[in-house]
Amino acid sequence: MSAPLLEVRGLSGGYDPIQIFSQIDLTLSAGESIGFFGPNGHGKSTLMKTISGVLAPWTGEIVLEGQRLNRAGERGSRRWRNFNYDVVTRRRMDPKKVARAGLIHVPEGSLLFPEMTVAETMDVAPVAAAGRGNSADRLAQVHDLFPRLRERLDSKIRYLSGGERQMVAIACGLLGDPKLMILDEPTLGLSPKLRIELCQAIASIKAAGVPLILIDQDVNFLTELIDRLYLFDHGRISGVLEKADIPSHEKLMAMLFGEPAA
Amino acid sequence: MSFESFLFVLTGGVVLGALYALMAAGLAVVWTTLGIFNFSHGAFVALGAYIGWQVGNVDGFALGHVLGLSATVLGMFALGILFQQMFIRPFERKENIVAATVITTLAGATVLQNGMLLIWGPRSKQISGIGEGSLNIGPLAFSWNEVALIVLVAFILGAVGWFLSRTRTGRSMRAVSQNRQAAELMGLNVPLLYALAFGLSAAMAGVAGYFVGSVRFINPTMGADPLMKALIVVIFGGIARFTSPIYAALIVGLVESFTTFYLGLYWAPAVLFAMMMIVLTIKPAGLFGTHQRTL
Repeated sequence: MSAPLLEVRGLSGGYDPIQIFSQIDLTLSAGESIGFFGPNGHGKSTLMKTISGVLAPWTGEIVLEGQRLNRAGERGSRRWRNFNYDVVTRRRMDPKKVARAGLIHVPEGSLLFPEMTVAETMDVAPVAAAGRGNSADRLAQVHDLFPRLRERLDSKIRYLSGGERQMVAIACGLLGDPKLMILDEPTLGLSPKLRIELCQAIASIKAAGVPLILIDQDVNFLTELIDRLYLFDHGRISGVLEKADIPSHEKLMAMLFGEPAA
Repeated sequence: MSFESFLFVLTGGVVLGALYALMAAGLAVVWTTLGIFNFSHGAFVALGAYIGWQVGNVDGFALGHVLGLSATVLGMFALGILFQQMFIRPFERKENIVAATVITTLAGATVLQNGMLLIWGPRSKQISGIGEGSLNIGPLAFSWNEVALIVLVAFILGAVGWFLSRTRTGRSMRAVSQNRQAAELMGLNVPLLYALAFGLSAAMAGVAGYFVGSVRFINPTMGADPLMKALIVVIFGGIARFTSPIYAALIVGLVESFTTFYLGLYWAPAVLFAMMMIVLTIKPAGLFGTHQRTL
């Protein structure tokens, strides 16, 4: 059997000194997509930021295609944690290396680069591909997915609507030629029409063979795209549902939070 | 005031403006990319002048202006990166550290100034002029030194502007300045881009120093006055675009030149600061500022 695409073992982390999540284990086989579902403020985004290296993991390991992304061992004592001179003490995890290894994270509500145009942003994005893949193909794919962006190439990011900005963020992720893409609440705060448009785009990204880790508040949307659903609350994975076992959004909400008051 | 003296003051203002533009643009490159005000920029100016003098001048290695200026650019680029690695990098990725980092650049400036004093001694030096005579365009007269300054400043600013807006590395540098986290997630090498920005800024300061050193005397604190003017320029013009400090520098240069002529040398800073206060009251983001990034 080939090595799993992503393996997370015993991962814990948070915002020093507050621990947000602990002992997270998850495995993604090649070609598999998973979803995360759970209440807001329970650590899903923090977990994703740790997997992509924005936050340094406290313990545990993150392995992508057999390549370890964080440094071994526990983090240093509190005294040494404040001493972060990169030349002497290397970062425990480097988001640049994670992105270049092919694990691309599109964070929640990404503001991108407000003063840069869409075209300039999309010119910088293929840096993450680090020579992998064919950038012209990726660019064509992005233009097919988001025809709307073609008209906005010369607009600055800060003049874009929330939906367009999210499209640029996802487009940039794709231009990085991902082996695995983390999408953190990509449809948050969008109008229903835009939401449908974006969901279709995400479905075609999946169809084009990019595995996803998807966080969303709509289970019905998640169910269409993923193979397994992780229920996440209080900083722990509280349950794993195979695709066939995922109930409808309403049933799941009732299951997790009790029956709604009549 | 006769027409001749008006023209004289005008050319003086343009030359001064070009010099401030070069310094302010260098300051702005670091300010917009790393988010800190670099107090050692003035010391970089002096260091650039010393390197240029040492390599180019007859009392030094006597290799001429071209090699002197090249040595200044390359040497300052390398020293800028070294400075950033020593004084700025230890503070990266820590919270609430901007003020401490800015004060550290002040400390770094002191180290550099005393280092220069140690190496080159207290006696003032001067880089010989770039050419004798002057270029007359109608009634305007520019010395060859001034012509070289204006042409070179225009070229450097054009090249840096092109680099920042057209090349992938330059665009990455702007991206890092606007959103470090998003830039890291896109796989950009943030420490490398920071070092590059600092090196570029120091090289620009070095060129400014070379020209200041050819019209004034070189001493370790010679950069302090231009640094203050460059600070006024950067705050006055805003740093929304690479071009905004350049326009502001021309305005500041002309205002300083005319104030010096009409009211006297000692009124120039007062008038400049008053002008800055009025502009900031009306437009807090600076004269040409539309959007300013918060640190």
